[in-house]
Amino acid sequence: MAPKNALLHGTLEVLILKTVSQTPRHGYAIARLLEERTGEAIQVEEGSLYPALYRMEQKGLLASKWGRSELDRRAKFYGLTRKGRARLSEEVEAWTAFSQAVSLILAG
Amino acid sequence: MISAEIVKLSRRTLARVFKTPVAAEVKEELDFHIEKQTREYQATGMSRDEARRVAEARFGNLSKVVSDLEKIGKRRDEVMARREWWGESRRDVRYALRQLRRSPGFAVVAVLTLALGIGANTAVFSVINGVLLKPLPYEAPEELVSVTSAFPAMDFDRFWISPPEYFELREWNQVFADIGGYRTGTTSIETNDRPLRVPSAVASWSFFPTMGVSAELGRTFSEEEDLPGATPVALISDGLWRRAFGQDTEVIGQSVRINGVASTIVGVMPPGFDVEDAGVDVWRPLNIDPNDHVNRRGNHFLNLVARLDDGVSLERAQADLDRLEVRWEEEFQGTHTPSSEFHPFRATDFRTDVLGDVRPAMMLLLGAVVFVLLIACANVANLLLARSERRSKEVAVRVAMGAGQARLVRQLLTEGMTLALLGGALGLALGHFALQGLLRVNPDGVPRVAEIGLDWTVVLFTGGVAIVTGLLFGLAPLINTTMAKVGNTLKEGGSRTTRSSAGQRARRMLVVAEVALAVVLLTGSGLMLRSMAALQDVDLGFQPENLLTMEVSLPAADYPTPVDVGAFFTTALERIRALPGVVSATAMSGLPPLRTLDANDTEFEDMEPTEEGPPHNVDYWTSIDADYAETMGIRILEGRGFELADALAETPVMLVNERLARTFYPDQTPLGRRIRPGPSWFTVIGVVADMKQAGVNREAGTELFFYSPQLNRTDGFAYRTQNFMIRTDRNPLGLAEPVRRLLGDIDAALPISDVQTMEQNLATSLAQPRFMTLLLSLFAGVALLLAAIGTYGVMSYSVVERKREIGIRMAMGANSSSVLGMVLKQGAVLAGLGLVIGVAGAFGLTRFLTAQLYEVGATDPRAFVLAPLFLALVATAACYLPARRATRVDPVSALREE
Repeated sequence: MAPKNALLHGTLEVLILKTVSQTPRHGYAIARLLEERTGEAIQVEEGSLYPALYRMEQKGLLASKWGRSELDRRAKFYGLTRKGRARLSEEVEAWTAFSQAVSLILAG
Repeated sequence: MISAEIVKLSRRTLARVFKTPVAAEVKEELDFHIEKQTREYQATGMSRDEARRVAEARFGNLSKVVSDLEKIGKRRDEVMARREWWGESRRDVRYALRQLRRSPGFAVVAVLTLALGIGANTAVFSVINGVLLKPLPYEAPEELVSVTSAFPAMDFDRFWISPPEYFELREWNQVFADIGGYRTGTTSIETNDRPLRVPSAVASWSFFPTMGVSAELGRTFSEEEDLPGATPVALISDGLWRRAFGQDTEVIGQSVRINGVASTIVGVMPPGFDVEDAGVDVWRPLNIDPNDHVNRRGNHFLNLVARLDDGVSLERAQADLDRLEVRWEEEFQGTHTPSSEFHPFRATDFRTDVLGDVRPAMMLLLGAVVFVLLIACANVANLLLARSERRSKEVAVRVAMGAGQARLVRQLLTEGMTLALLGGALGLALGHFALQGLLRVNPDGVPRVAEIGLDWTVVLFTGGVAIVTGLLFGLAPLINTTMAKVGNTLKEGGSRTTRSSAGQRARRMLVVAEVALAVVLLTGSGLMLRSMAALQDVDLGFQPENLLTMEVSLPAADYPTPVDVGAFFTTALERIRALPGVVSATAMSGLPPLRTLDANDTEFEDMEPTEEGPPHNVDYWTSIDADYAETMGIRILEGRGFELADALAETPVMLVNERLARTFYPDQTPLGRRIRPGPSWFTVIGVVADMKQAGVNREAGTELFFYSPQLNRTDGFAYRTQNFMIRTDRNPLGLAEPVRRLLGDIDAALPISDVQTMEQNLATSLAQPRFMTLLLSLFAGVALLLAAIGTYGVMSYSVVERKREIGIRMAMGANSSSVLGMVLKQGAVLAGLGLVIGVAGAFGLTRFLTAQLYEVGATDPRAFVLAPLFLALVATAACYLPARRATRVDPVSALREE
C-alpha cells in the first residue's frame, strides 16, 4: 500500500509541475487541466490537490501569488520556481528513460 | 547595482507587511475553487444549491481538508520564513564580503586589528583553560584535598606532616575516605648499564588508591612493601618505560638498581600520571613504621593528599582537623605536637595547593587582554564609523526605499560579524602559535604547560569573544545612520563637507578611550618591567657569572661510609681543578637561589628558647667543600672562612650567615659561640653574607655551613647528594663535557644531572615573573600600537573632513605652521584627555599588580611618569603625520573640489 501511495503522490507532484510550467495557474484550473489532459483517466481529488500544492510550496518547488481571476475575485496562482523547473526536467528525463526501457521489454 | 538591491529589498518588505494569515488564505482559496466549480455545474442545469453541494462533495470531508491545509500552511510559512531569513543572511554576508573586497585596505586593517585583540584573548584563555579550568588528571579530582601543617611561630604557613601525624590522622579522622603521603625528589636508576638521574617520588601504599589510580601494568605497592626493611620495590612511569625499557612488558618483576639498591619493578603507571608537575619517573614506597609514634614526630617531610568521604565539604574536613588538634594536645606533649596555636593543620583544595596561587596572575592577564580587545574594538568601530559616513548616502537611500531600521541593523551586524569572525579565525591561529612560541622559550612560565593548547573550550571561547566583539563594534555606525538624518543627507546631495557631529564626537571619544586604556596597560607593564629589572639586580650573595653546576648523588650501596663519600668528592674536585679553564671548584649540598627548606631543630649554647625569642630552628643546613668562598664569590663579614687545616682540627667549626647571626646573636658577635645541630657542638668561626636560597624575590633564611671534609670525620656524616660548583674563565658550558668524562672515569655508574650554568638556573627560578612581564609587555605593546593607529586614523580622517576649512584658512593667509599647530592641538586635546583618564585609571588598577611586584610600589612614580610620557610621544607622532598632510592642502583645489 505504502509504496503505491508514494508513487501516486510523486506522480501527482510531477503532473502539477507540468501543468503550471507554461503559465501560473490557480488550483481550480490545475484540477481541470489534469482531468482534461489525462482524458479523465486520472481523477484528482481536490482533497489531495491542495495539500500537495501547499507542501510543494513549502519545498520551494512552487511559488504562489494572489491575482485577479475570471470571476473578478482574488485567486491564488501557482507558478514554478527555479527549483521546481529543475525538478520537472529531472522527472521528465527519468520518466522517459524508464518508459523507454519498459517499452523495449514489452515490445520484445 | 545598488538600485537592483533596493528593489529586491522593498519587494520583500512589502510581501512581509501584506502577508495574509493562513486561515484567511485557505478560506479564500477554497471559496474561489468551490464557487468556480459551482458555476460550472450550474451551467449544466443544476440548481445553485445542488451545484454547490456537489462541488463541496468533491473535497470529501471539507472541514478536515480546511484544517489540514491550515496546519500544512502554518508549517509552510515557518519553513519559508526560515529559508528567507537564511537567504537574507547569506545575501547580507555576500554583501558584506563584497563591501570588504571593495575596500581591501580597510578590510585588512580591521581584520588584523581584531586578530590581535582576539588572539591575545585566545592565548590568555588557553593558559587559564589549561592551568585553572581543566580538571587535574585524577579520578574525581574535586574530592582531593591537601592536608598541610603550619608553625606560626616560625612563619611557616605551609609545612609538611611527620609520619606519626600521618598515621594518627589516617586512624582518627572521620571525614576522609583515604589519605596518602608523598614527597618528590630525584633518584638514580640504572637501566641497561646506563645510569639515569630522574625525577622521582616516595609515596605511601595508600597514595595510589587515594588518587584513584591503578598501575597500567603490574600493580602498585602493597601495605607490607611500605614497611621499613621490606624488599625494595618500585613503580616506573609510562614515559620511562618507553624511553629506557623499550615498552618491554617483561619489565614487571625485573630487578634494577635504584640509588644503588637492587629494586624490583612491580608496576608501570598509566601515561600522564604525575604529581605536582614534577614529571615523576620512579615511585618508591615511603617505608615508614606505623608503630614508631614517638621518635619521628618532629620529622616533617610528607605532603598529604586525602580524598573526602561522600558529601563531606572542605569546611567539615577542616572542622575535623580542628577537633583532632585538641585530641593530639591531650595525648602528647612537646613542640611538635599538633595544636591549634603552635602547629595547626589545614585542609586545602588539592589543585590550589599544588598549583600555587596562580589565579590572581591569570586574572590579571585576562584583565589586560580585555583592555587590548576593547582598544581593538574601538579602532574597528572607528573605521566602521568613518566608512559609514562615506556610505551614508547609500544607507539613506536604502532606508528611504523601505529597508526598515531593523533590516538595516541586521545588515550592519552581519558586516560586523563577518569582520569579527574573520578576525576571530585569524586571532585563534595567531594566539595559539604565539603562545606555543612563548611557552617554548619559557617552559617554566606557568604550571601544567602540557595541558595548554587548542581544544573545543578554547575554540568556543574565541568564537564567543568574536561574536561579542562583532556586536560591540558592528553597531557603531548606527550612531550615524539614525532615521532622523535620512532626510538631511539626501537633501544635502551627499556633500562631503557635511559634518555628522554625532559620528565625529563618537570617534573622538573612542580615541580618548583607547588612549586611556593603553596608558593603564603601559603603566602596568612599566611596573612589571621595573620589578623584573629589580629581580635581576638582586644581590644574590654570590657571583653567578661563569659558574657551571651539576648534581651527583652517591648511592649507599657503592659508597657505604661517609669516608667513601668524602674521598669521592676530594678526588673529583682535585681533578676538576686541574682541568684547563677551571679557576676554582667546590661542592655543596643545596643549590641556590631556590632550594627546599630544611627547617631543622638546632641547639644554641647558653640560650633557652623563649616564647618571644626565635624558635631554635635553622632554615638551611649546608655542607660545603674546600675553596667555597673563592668559587662562589661570597663575602666573609666577620671572622674567617674554612681552611684546609680545619679538616684535621679536632674542634668542629662552622660558618653562619648574617641572618642567623642577627636572629640569634643580636648586638653581639657569634664568633666563638657554639651551636649543636647533631651530636657535636660546633664553634662559629665566621659570618658570611646572606646567599639567596628561598628564591630571588624572598629574603634569605637563616643558614649554617658545615665543612664537608671535617663533618665527615668528626660527626661521621656526609651529604650524599651535592652540587659541583665550577668557576671558569670561559663559557662554563664548554666545560660540561670534560667534567662529565672525568666523573665517568671515577665512577661510570654515577648519573650526573642538572648540568647547567648558574645563570640558567637563575633564569629558571625567575621563569614565572618573566613570563608575566613578557606577556604584559607584549599586550601593552599591542595596545600602544593599536592606540597609535586609532589616533592616526581619526586625525587623518578629520584632516580630510576639514580640508575645505583648512583651504579657506590658508587662502585667508594662515601659514603652514599655524595649520600644523591647529591640527596638533586638536589631537593633543584628545590624547591629553585620554592620558589623564588613563593615569587615574592606572592609579586605581595597578594595586592588583602588587602581589606580582618586587621592590616596586604599585604607584611607582617612574612608571607613572614614563608610561604616559611615552604614550604622549607616540600620540604626538600619530597626530603629526596627518597634521603635516594638512599643511600641504592646496587652497585652490580644496575649494574647487565640491
